[in-house]
Amino acid sequence: MGSSGQGQSNFDLSFKILLIGDSGVGKSSLLVSFISNAVDDLAPTIGVDFKIKLFTVGGKKLKLTIWDTAGQERFRTLTSSYYRGAQGIVLVYDVTRRDTFTNLSDVWAKEVELYSTNQDCIKMLVGNKVDRESERVVSREEGISLAKEFGCLYLECSARTRENVERCFEELALKIMEVPSLLEEGSTVGKRNILKQKQEQHTPPAGSCCS
Amino acid sequence: MLSFTGMHELLAPLLYVLNVDLERISEARKAYEDQFTENFDGFSFHENDLTYKFEFKKFSEYAEDGTGKEKVSVKASSLSELDSMTQTIALLSDAYGAEGELGIVVSEKFMEHDAYSMFDALMSGAGGAVAMADFFSTPFGTSHNVFPPVIEASSALYHLLSVVDLPLHNHLVELGIEPQYFALRWLRLLFGREFSLEILLVIWDEIFSRENNIFKKPADNDAESNFGVLDSPRGAFISAMAVSMILYLRSSLLASENATTCLQRLLNFPDDVNLVKLTEKAKSLQILAVDENNSTSLSYHQWLHEGSKLGITRAHSLSLDSTSPRTPLNIVPESYWEEKWRVFHKEEDNKQHDVEKQVPNHRKGWSEKVRLRLSRTESDPSPSKVDRKKAPKPSVRRNLLEDLVQQLGLDEDADIIQCNEDINYDPVEVNRQDVTQDSESAESEEISLNFSDSPSPTHGVNDHGNESESSVGSNLCIDENDPESNNSESCGTNPECSPLPVSNSRDVTALKCAQNDDSVRKSATDMKERKLLSGTLQWLWKFGRNKSEETSKVAAASEDEKALNGQSGQSNVADSTADGCDSSSGTCSEEAVDRNLMLNFRNLGQSMLENIQVIESVFQQDSGQVGPLDNTSKNSLIGKGQVTAMTALKELRNISNLLSEM
Repeated sequence: MGSSGQGQSNFDLSFKILLIGDSGVGKSSLLVSFISNAVDDLAPTIGVDFKIKLFTVGGKKLKLTIWDTAGQERFRTLTSSYYRGAQGIVLVYDVTRRDTFTNLSDVWAKEVELYSTNQDCIKMLVGNKVDRESERVVSREEGISLAKEFGCLYLECSARTRENVERCFEELALKIMEVPSLLEEGSTVGKRNILKQKQEQHTPPAGSCCS
Repeated sequence: MLSFTGMHELLAPLLYVLNVDLERISEARKAYEDQFTENFDGFSFHENDLTYKFEFKKFSEYAEDGTGKEKVSVKASSLSELDSMTQTIALLSDAYGAEGELGIVVSEKFMEHDAYSMFDALMSGAGGAVAMADFFSTPFGTSHNVFPPVIEASSALYHLLSVVDLPLHNHLVELGIEPQYFALRWLRLLFGREFSLEILLVIWDEIFSRENNIFKKPADNDAESNFGVLDSPRGAFISAMAVSMILYLRSSLLASENATTCLQRLLNFPDDVNLVKLTEKAKSLQILAVDENNSTSLSYHQWLHEGSKLGITRAHSLSLDSTSPRTPLNIVPESYWEEKWRVFHKEEDNKQHDVEKQVPNHRKGWSEKVRLRLSRTESDPSPSKVDRKKAPKPSVRRNLLEDLVQQLGLDEDADIIQCNEDINYDPVEVNRQDVTQDSESAESEEISLNFSDSPSPTHGVNDHGNESESSVGSNLCIDENDPESNNSESCGTNPECSPLPVSNSRDVTALKCAQNDDSVRKSATDMKERKLLSGTLQWLWKFGRNKSEETSKVAAASEDEKALNGQSGQSNVADSTADGCDSSSGTCSEEAVDRNLMLNFRNLGQSMLENIQVIESVFQQDSGQVGPLDNTSKNSLIGKGQVTAMTALKELRNISNLLSEM
C-alpha cells in the first residue's frame, strides 16, 4: 500500500474525513481510487486504515486525513474513537445492494449521531458502484431523498471508473470550509493548539509518577 | 458477537503450510522410496503413531518437526547420510496409517481435517491464554465499561511499550494514537498483513513454539497480571513481537509530528524488514513482558499513566477480571498521598536532629502503608514489597508497648513508663513521638482515603490490624537486633515488666486490634488537624487523643510533660480498652468479623462524636486548661491555635458524622 504525502509539506488546512458504511460497499476502493488512481481488488479492512491526500480546492491547499473503517466493526468501544474530531463523514452504500442502503439509516446514521463529537460536521451520502448500472437496485431518487432527510450532501460514484470520486471529496472539503467552526479546527494554528493542550493535560501525571 | 472478517487470513497460512508439507513428503517419498520402506520395521508404531498424529494435528509447526526429528533420529542410523529435512520426513512418515507409510500424519485425505483442527486450536486457544477468537469477539450491547479483549490486549501492548520505551509510548499517546488503531489488525491476523508470507511463517513458528499455558501466579497476582494476553508464554511473545515492531519504527515514529503519519507507518510496515533483529528483540521483550507481568515495582505509575490517558483498561479489567484482583482504584490517590507523606516527612526531618534513626523509621512507616495496601488488596507481595514488608514498624511496637503498660497496671508511674519507653527508643527520645505520629499519619492518610472510598477497605483496616499483630514479634526482632522478642526485652530492662506472661500476648493483641481500629479512626481525622497546624500539631494530636477520654481531662491539666506523654499513651489505651471491650467481640473474634464490623464502626463513630462534644465543651469552658499544657508542650499554643483547633475539631466532627453514616 503506497503511502501518499508525508504530511510535512505545506498545507493551509487539514481535515479529518471518516468513511463509514457496510462492509463490501467499497469504502476502501473509493479511497484507493481517490488517492492513487489505481483500482484493485482489496482485502477487507481490519480495524481501520489511514490515507492522507493533499490537494487544492478553492485556492486552498488541503490535507485530508481519511480514516477508512471496517464495515464489520459496529461495536462502540472500537469505533467510537474513530469519530473523534472528524470534520467530514462519508456514508457509503452500494447501489446494487439495498441492505447497505437501508443500513445507512438504520445503523450508521445513528452511530454518527451517537459518536460524532463535532456537531457541525459535514455528512455526505455516497452511492458507490454505479458502473454496474444493470444491477442497480437503489435508485438515485431514493438516495437523494435519504440525503435530504439526513441533511447531507449526495453523490453517486464509481470507484472502479473513478466517476465522481474526486468530486465527492472536493465537495465535501468545500462544504467543510464553509463552516466557520470547522474551518477553525482545520487551520493549522488551531490544530497545534489542540496538540499543545493535549500535551499539557498529559504532562502532570507523567511527571508526578516518574519522581 | 463475532466479526469474522479476516479469520480466513489466519486459516490461509495454515493451509499453505499443510500443502507445502504434503508436497515435500511426496517428493521425498519419490526420491527415497527405499528409506521409507526400510525403516518400517524398526519402530514401535503405537507410541509414535499416537504422538505424531496428535502433535501434528494440533500444531503442525516446523518446531514440531524439529522435536520429532530429535526424538527419532537416535534410532535411525541408516538415514544418517540423508539431509536432515528428508530424514525428518522419512522418519515422520514411519508412523503407519491408513495409507501404510505416510499414514495419517500428513495426508491429502486428511488435509481438511488437519486444517480444521489447527484452525480450531488457534481460534479457541486449546484452553490456553491466547484464543484468537477473542480478538474477534465483542461484548454485544453491553455497557460502556466492558471492552472487547482485543482492546485490552492492545492496551497491554502499550503498557509493555511504556515499560520498555516510555518516551516513545508518551509520544504515541500524546499524538492521540490509541493502540487498537493498529494493534487490532496486528492481533487479529497475528501480523498476517504486516509481513510477507515467508517472514510471517517464521514469526508464527516463534509464536506457536511457545506454550499457551496460562501462567500460574500464586504469589504475584497483582495489578499487571490483568492483561490476559500476557498470561501465557505465547501471549507474552505476541505482545513482545508487537512492541518489537513498534520499536523497529521508533525513530520514524518519533520523527513524525502528527498522528496520521505515525499510523501510516505502523499500518504500512516495511517489507524489507530485518527479521532477525525483530525477533531477537521480541525474544528479549518476552522475558521482560513476563517479568513485568510478575512484578509490580513499575506498575503503579504506568498504570496510572495509562489509565488517565486511555481511560479504558482500568475500568474494563476491573469489571472483567474477577479471577485476578488488581490493585483497586485507589492507586492514584495512594501515590498522591505517598507524595504528600514524603513532603510531610521532609519537613519533619528538618526539625529533628537524629537523622540516622529517622530514616529507618520512615521506612517503617512506609512498610506500614505497604502492608496496609497489601492487606487491603489481598494480593501477595512482589519482591519489591517483600523487603519493605520486613522492615519493622514503630507504631505497632509503640502500640504494643502501651498495651503492655496497660496490662501491667494503669497506676504505674508515668516516669516509669517513659523510662521503659526510653530504654527501647533512647536515641530518639524526643523524636519518638513525632516519628510514630508521622508513620501513623501516613497510615491514617491512607485509611481516611479509604473510608471515603467505599466500605470494603474497612476490612482491609481490620486485616491490617490482625496482620500486624501476628508479625509484631518478628518485626521487633529485626529492629532491635535482639534475638529476644520485645516482650522479653522489656522484661530485662524493666523489673515491673518481668511478670509478663506469654499468655498475655493474646490479650495484648486483642487489645491492640481494638485500639488500632480506634486509633486509626482518630488519626484519620487528626491527620487533617496536623496538616492544618504544622507547629501545634503534635500538641493537638496529643491533646485530641487525650481529650477523647473524659477521664483524662483533669490529669492532663495537672501533670507535667512527661507525665502527660505517659498519660496520653496510657489513657489512650484505656480508651481503647473501653472501646475494645464492646468492639472486640466484633473486631477480634476471628469469625463474623465482617458482619460486626460495620456495626462497630457506627458505634465508634457515635462515640467519637460524643468525644468531640466533650472536647468542644472543654475548650469553651476551660480555656485555662490550655495554659499549663501550653507551657509544657514543645510547641507553644496561643489563642490562634485554639481557633484553628476548633476548626479542626469541626472537621473531626464532620468525619465522625460521615463515619456514623457508613
